Amino acid sequence: MTTRRFIVEPRGLASARLTLAVPLIAVLLALVVGAVFLAVTGNNPWDVYVKMADTSFGSSRGISETLISATPLILTGVAAAVAFKMLVWNIGAEGQFLMGAVFAAGLGIALGDGTPSALAIPLVIIAGAIGGAFWASISAVPKVYLGTNEIITTLMLNFIALNFMNYLIFGSSSPWRDPLVPQFPSGRPIPESARIPEFFNRLDYGFIIAALLAVLAWFLISKTKWGFEVRVVGDSADTARYAGISVPRKFLGVFLMSGAFAGLAGSLYVAGPVGALDPRSLDLGLGFTGIIVAALARLNPVAVIPVAILMGALNNAGPALQSIQIPAATVTMLQGAILIFAVAGEFFIANRVRKPEKKPAGAPAAEGAGAA
Amino acid sequence: MNRMNWRFLAILALALALVAAACGGDDDETATTEASGGTETTAAASGGGDGETLKVAFVHVGPVADKGWSWAHDQGAEYLKANANVEVTTLESIPEGSDSQRVFEDLAADGNMLIFGTSFGYMEPMLAAAANYPDVAFMHATGFMSGENMGNYFGAAEEGRYLSGMASGAATETNLVGYVAAFPIPEVLRGINAFTLGVREVNPDAQVQVVWTSTWFDPPKEGTAAQSLLDAGADVIAMHQDSAAPGQTAEAAGAKWSGYNTDMTEFAPTAWLTAPIWDWGPFYLAQAEAVAAGTWAPTNYYGNMADGMVALAPFGESVSADTIALIEERQAQIIDGSFTVLPDPIVDQDGNERALGDIFIMDYFVEGVIGSPTG
Repeated sequence: MTTRRFIVEPRGLASARLTLAVPLIAVLLALVVGAVFLAVTGNNPWDVYVKMADTSFGSSRGISETLISATPLILTGVAAAVAFKMLVWNIGAEGQFLMGAVFAAGLGIALGDGTPSALAIPLVIIAGAIGGAFWASISAVPKVYLGTNEIITTLMLNFIALNFMNYLIFGSSSPWRDPLVPQFPSGRPIPESARIPEFFNRLDYGFIIAALLAVLAWFLISKTKWGFEVRVVGDSADTARYAGISVPRKFLGVFLMSGAFAGLAGSLYVAGPVGALDPRSLDLGLGFTGIIVAALARLNPVAVIPVAILMGALNNAGPALQSIQIPAATVTMLQGAILIFAVAGEFFIANRVRKPEKKPAGAPAAEGAGAA
Repeated sequence: MNRMNWRFLAILALALALVAAACGGDDDETATTEASGGTETTAAASGGGDGETLKVAFVHVGPVADKGWSWAHDQGAEYLKANANVEVTTLESIPEGSDSQRVFEDLAADGNMLIFGTSFGYMEPMLAAAANYPDVAFMHATGFMSGENMGNYFGAAEEGRYLSGMASGAATETNLVGYVAAFPIPEVLRGINAFTLGVREVNPDAQVQVVWTSTWFDPPKEGTAAQSLLDAGADVIAMHQDSAAPGQTAEAAGAKWSGYNTDMTEFAPTAWLTAPIWDWGPFYLAQAEAVAAGTWAPTNYYGNMADGMVALAPFGESVSADTIALIEERQAQIIDGSFTVLPDPIVDQDGNERALGDIFIMDYFVEGVIGSPTG
């Protein structure tokens, strides 16, 4: 029999301060680990971090580019956050994002030049929400009425969406494909009147819209009767049933809402910086990254905003680091480190780790930085 | 919060894996950026105080260690470094598409006066970046758009394709040559057509079967595509891809291989026949000298075998002396201009004679190709 050096016990409700501290500590620890790695490989960590911060936040152009990169991540992050909070395991934000882009570009092209912006822009954005919700519904309806596993179906539908988009551009003469560029299959540009205007360097109002939508998601979940019922379902389906709440309907609602947010990310990206259904610009894993953003934001739709900005900044710093002779893989590694620490932090939020009272000696110091 | 169970963690792990996969190709680049520039580029971060040194930047879609397309350009950058007073910044694995505009603008803001983008999908983002940095010279490989401070450059790979086709036509015993191709675009179709004409010059019964991968650089996918062609009866594999995977697949199956971009003999020494290869160095040097002298102007440059931008790799051991003699004779004719690899008129896939047309918007296959020119 070995004596137990630590006792791990469920914490019950974690304090708000702890919930905020753990992700911050995760980021800090990741930077420390990254610094050790950089030092070992012969680089000055301080210089590297200064270069990263300078690239992403050191100039007005850097800031605007960071916010451009953050915009789709805010919405794919919200898509994952609202779903996971209700125990809807929608990991299909990637596919829903692409379908949102397909719908948005399709409507933009169909509307043509004649439609005034005041009409075209909202319609194109909403088309993305419909596309995302539609793609989610293919998983959601069988889940709710037949009990299929949404983890499998949403995951697989990601690949179908990707290949469908590629087919529209590379494999066919679809209306999405630009007939004027025979040199290479490209997306047909949507009309200028359907493009969201820029207001700060290259940054368009899509960022503001995304941030407002994140707040709206928080409001819907936290402050409305519908949101309350949804949260009851998320906590205990039995309780909800007992209270007379229609569980399948709530489940379906959350699933479609999640898909709609991912689709909005697609339409804002198409109507914003990309301007066409361009597979090379869209196939960046933004939906998958959204899951990570949501996790770091502890599934809080408002917290998703700063986390998405951080991820956007990390993303943009990558090429700049290469210009000071740091391999691109280092940035990927830093991102990975932050996430691993965040996931580890999850454990410390959910559980308390302490030493047994009667055995004070011998045990090495607990690495409970996050639990302190 | 205690409802966050193992499922959530499992999904997170899955998401991480998917993000890593989506970042594709980022993983073979551990020790590349500084391969041979270790001593001279320490001042990169500071912006440099030496007014004489020209800052030049390269942006590649894949890792320069691919030993293929990006590596060939990187060799050109090495040549430039060795022959001019320049400070070279190389960015690799930069995705194409609208996001790349930021990367080009970052480089321009960093003081680079000459910026090369070596993949087709950088074209429009580079054009947009060039408009914002009118004092910087931008050069885009393989594209067709240009601007007041942006030119483009490419070379007649089809000349080398024709010659490597001759080697492949002589090598095939099943009379079926497999061709692993990236995208159905004019550049690739040109290469396939010239290659096929070369195959059939030495072996009129042989045919060339094409499969599309929809990627420039994805070794597993390229290898799978090559295997599907071998399974269909091909005993020689050609490719328009950036990795050596099709060759390694051919080597494992005992088939032959005609590569692309660089001399890749080392990856499949038995399978290796030859390949059209690139020599970008002198062009890069000329561009840098023009920028340094203040005489740079955007051009649409199309190099060829005569000016040395396109060349033929060394032959593999299995290529017979007779075949080599035949190929070298053709090569001499191509260089002196007495032989054109793509004739006008030309016979298309259905056996009908047609006008060659503008080869830069070529959208058809020639006789002897099996497959669809639209992907």
